Amino acid sequence: MDFVVYTLINTIFVLLISPLFMSLIKKVKAFVQGRRGPPLLQTYFMMGKLLKKERVYSANTSLVMRITPYIEIIFILVASLSVPLVFIPQPVAGIGNVILFLYLMVVAKFFMALAGLDAGSTFGGMGSSREMTFSAIVEPVVIVAFAAMGLVLKTANLHQMFGISLESALITNPAVLLTSVSLFIILIVETSRIPVDNPETHLELTMIHEAMILEYSGPDLALMEISHAVKQTLLIAIPVNILVPWGLTASPTVPGVLLAMISFALKGSLVAVIIGFFESMFAKSRLFRLPGLFMLALFFSFSTILFELLS
Amino acid sequence: MQTNLFLAGLILYPAITIAALATSSKAKMFFRQTILWLILLANLMFLVFSVITFISGRTFYITPYQLTASLQFDFAVDRLGAFFMGTTSLVAVSVSCYSLRYVEHSGTDAGKNVMAAITSLFILSMLLVIASANTFSFLFWWEIMSIASFFLVMHERDKSETRKSALFYLIMTQMSTVFLMFGFLAIYAVTGSFNIQPVSGISLPLASAIFLSLFIGFIIKAGVMPFHKWLPYAHSASPSNISALMSGVMIKVAIYGIVRYLMIVFSPVWWWGLIILVFGTFSALLGVIYALKEHDLKKLLAYHSIENIGIILIGIGLYAIFRSYGLQDLATLSLLGGLFHTFNHAMFKSLLFLTAGSVVNATGTRNIEEMGGLLKTMPYTGVLFLVGSVAIAALPPLNGFVSELMIFQSFLQSFTVVGPLLKIVMFAGLALFALTSALAAACFVKAFGIVFLAMPRSEAARKATEVSPYMLFGSAILAVCCIFSGIFSYQIFMALGYNLAIPDMMLIGLLLFIALITVWLAVRVFANRKTRISETWGCGLTSQNSRMEYTASGFSEPILTIFRPVYRTNKWSERWFFDAGNSLFKNGHAAIRTFKLFEEKIYLPVARFVQRFSLYVANLQDVDLDTYILYSFIAIIVLVLTMGWLV
Amino acid sequence: MTETIVFSNIVKILFVFVLGTAALVITRRTLSSLFTIYSIQSWFIAIIAMILYLNNHAVTLLLIALLTVASKAIVIPAVLRRIQFSMNIKRDLEFRYLTPIGSLLVSAVLVFLVYRLFSQYLLTISGDSLLLFGAVIGISLTLMGMLVIFTRRKIITKILGYLTMENGVLLFSLFIAELPFIVEVLIVIDLIMLIVLAAILAFGIDSTVEVFHEKLNSFTNWFRDE
Repeated sequence: MDFVVYTLINTIFVLLISPLFMSLIKKVKAFVQGRRGPPLLQTYFMMGKLLKKERVYSANTSLVMRITPYIEIIFILVASLSVPLVFIPQPVAGIGNVILFLYLMVVAKFFMALAGLDAGSTFGGMGSSREMTFSAIVEPVVIVAFAAMGLVLKTANLHQMFGISLESALITNPAVLLTSVSLFIILIVETSRIPVDNPETHLELTMIHEAMILEYSGPDLALMEISHAVKQTLLIAIPVNILVPWGLTASPTVPGVLLAMISFALKGSLVAVIIGFFESMFAKSRLFRLPGLFMLALFFSFSTILFELLS
Repeated sequence: MQTNLFLAGLILYPAITIAALATSSKAKMFFRQTILWLILLANLMFLVFSVITFISGRTFYITPYQLTASLQFDFAVDRLGAFFMGTTSLVAVSVSCYSLRYVEHSGTDAGKNVMAAITSLFILSMLLVIASANTFSFLFWWEIMSIASFFLVMHERDKSETRKSALFYLIMTQMSTVFLMFGFLAIYAVTGSFNIQPVSGISLPLASAIFLSLFIGFIIKAGVMPFHKWLPYAHSASPSNISALMSGVMIKVAIYGIVRYLMIVFSPVWWWGLIILVFGTFSALLGVIYALKEHDLKKLLAYHSIENIGIILIGIGLYAIFRSYGLQDLATLSLLGGLFHTFNHAMFKSLLFLTAGSVVNATGTRNIEEMGGLLKTMPYTGVLFLVGSVAIAALPPLNGFVSELMIFQSFLQSFTVVGPLLKIVMFAGLALFALTSALAAACFVKAFGIVFLAMPRSEAARKATEVSPYMLFGSAILAVCCIFSGIFSYQIFMALGYNLAIPDMMLIGLLLFIALITVWLAVRVFANRKTRISETWGCGLTSQNSRMEYTASGFSEPILTIFRPVYRTNKWSERWFFDAGNSLFKNGHAAIRTFKLFEEKIYLPVARFVQRFSLYVANLQDVDLDTYILYSFIAIIVLVLTMGWLV
Repeated sequence: MTETIVFSNIVKILFVFVLGTAALVITRRTLSSLFTIYSIQSWFIAIIAMILYLNNHAVTLLLIALLTVASKAIVIPAVLRRIQFSMNIKRDLEFRYLTPIGSLLVSAVLVFLVYRLFSQYLLTISGDSLLLFGAVIGISLTLMGMLVIFTRRKIITKILGYLTMENGVLLFSLFIAELPFIVEVLIVIDLIMLIVLAAILAFGIDSTVEVFHEKLNSFTNWFRDE
């Protein structure tokens, strides 16, 4: 019963708050560029607009194109159950397993890459090719970062990790701080932010994620955009809730949950602002320089492991 | 009941073979169909037998035939054996169903009969190797398995490529037999019996030497690096149903040998596990890296077999390491992960080979650069290939994910209990394993995407049609197994008595289903329902042709660039000019050569050395009568000296 | 006591940032960013020395911190930037023997090897884990500096590698050696540095080792023609 309540609250909250973070990053980047930027609720309006438009499919596409938006959203929503945003439920059947979480997101990526190839356009093929390449190169970095976190916190289950952070303040643990740096780099890579990919461009040479969803329109595009936003929120939530678990509760009382929602909205907004500033500091990297960036994240994770061994 | 099934199967297979060979001149389709249906029946009998033995958990003994007092065919099937026999029979059932129509597609009529005949012998030999209780029986059926598969690979013997691949395969498999024989005879010399049973009382160096010899023998057969080179050649040259059998089952028989000897006969030392882990990781990573540049569909699948065998060895190596440290739970988890991955790989690899065979048949080419758009003309085959791809890319909730999860889990749980040096090894192994898994997903996006999606790239692909229902049904059996063993994995393990700390895929499946219904309803209610068919965005060009879509080489190009030190392609060019100042170009040559590391640096030098040595020995023999008498004279003198001085 | 733990944690975090700067020196190509990274690294080491001073109040540590800030964080990068105006290169693109990613992997392995070596000996001497940390990171920094020297071609980057090596030795000696001795060691090293710089300025700081050898060879040829 606890789990059903958790599912409903977590899923609805993550769907509601993700577009806010997307708009906030755009607003911060606009501010740095000296513009006013779109209003904060713009992403919500865009979703509403997309739902009312018709779908246009290319004649070359097959059923993969039609089922991919649904596969994206359902896999990312089930993955969101692994990351408690407001309260931590009783353990149920290993849902918080970190490998399960990562691979559910890989399913979404796999099908998005297939959909990119489906329309037979060069943009989509290029986006799929680069996306799968970088997904492959960043995967050991992600796994080692989470394994380092698991080594420090002695568990491989995200729910348990959050529980441990609730009990003892982990922000003073240097190993956890270092892994968070790795996790921040991984966030930039997985959500296709500068310097890995430019989410606002539609030029063929500079897009990876946008290239794969280029052929989508209408409600399908709305589903793809919301999946991307939810994935970003989840990847923000993991370092934030491990380092600063203020507001995260262990029991579903109404005032506790409301407080947790407000505190997560604030914490997440802070991280979104940091991402916005980080994006404005760099230009998009040349494609084959990116493995160097991933190696840096891997280096930080290995240093974390060394720390654990030394202390 | 079990005895009857076993004996009935045991008699049926050779009977089929002999009958088929005898009637091979009467090459009518009716005979062939009957033969194949009988093979299917025999496979089903063995499948039922294995399931009964596995569930009952009691060992089944039978000794049908004695050659002499000390050489007899002993069979003992315990749970481990029943597991492997069950996997073999299941794959054989699907392949037989598939072959009902597939054999019609290639070769002469007599050739098709012979193939059906030898297939039955091949399946029998694999089953009996697993069931063997003494090494004489093991080696006997191992040899029959090797030779039967050699003949099967030679099915299309008109092509020189097939002949070369089959010969290469035969040599490698004989090499594996040599190493196995060393090991088995050494065990006989130490213990005095041929039985496969726990061996104790041997000193550690001797046990290690015997184990290493057996291990090398088994990994040559399993296709682990650096002994893997025969696998892509043999699996792409042979017909697809045989490739499915070989890749899905035959290399698992080698894994069975390793597991049997590691678990039961010897008790492992930690550095045996480390060697297995290193071979496994090396093989997995390089297998998938070489798979990425392949554009021949069956060679690509063969390299993925190498990768998955590497993953299985990672699980087994971890088992050996944990067991030698006494970490029983972790040892069980990793061994079960390795064995479950064996089953899963048999399922999805056979599925992929069978559907690839359908595709290759329908389009007439193995080159994926000439395919495309097949999902619209061959929808069922496409969906089955998609299920196989999702399974091999280890995506939840299918079975490939569950076995890789178990291995990941044993890596992650090991960090808190092992010493620092081993921790570093584990982290390195974990990182490389994650890289392998992700590269496999990338490779299958390429494989499925280029073959089935977008537009056809050649006339043959445009004209492809769906294959016969028998072929689809055979593949579908495997696909259904993949899905079920993935979603119900936790329940299956609970039923077998293992309470593992892995996530429940059934719950995930249920959640996914609920989410799907909810989202679909929400979109249907709140969103626009109109759909329109139009053209792909082509930057303003209104005609889209197949030259505009991404090619397989283009898809894998970023990965090839990043891993350039591994591939070492070198570009070589030579130009001739009309004038001395090198400005008027006449003609030239250019080539891009992939550096075939294993062939050029390891296999060919060894082969040349063997050839030189054999030539020398041959010259020694090619002499006249006087020299032969001289040889006899020398031999007698040596004999006299030995007896005089040393005795 | 908690103060010591907090200090110890901060020092550990700074250690990893120092390692991070070393990793950046190995991989970055733009010269001005290399100088900035070097000065940040020196700042970090100065802060570590300062924290150690606050912990055990040895005046030498304070002096070292101030000396490091003055010389390595401020003066040397300023001198290098001044020289950069007269150089005609802005980046050092070529790598030798190891690519940047390979260098990072090798340095990760080196760190583990150094850890393995020291964990056997140092824990018997004193149980302070910070000592072990400092020794490992110091030696690793030195080895990473040596890596920079042989993987890059331009002399200016080689000098930065040498400077990183010196930082590593300083870090190591903050934790291990007897305090008065450090100062002497540092002075000697700085003198050697001055001599090397003088020699290189004669040949041009933006040249490479090959050009150096050519000029040297032409020198010997001149002797032989005599």
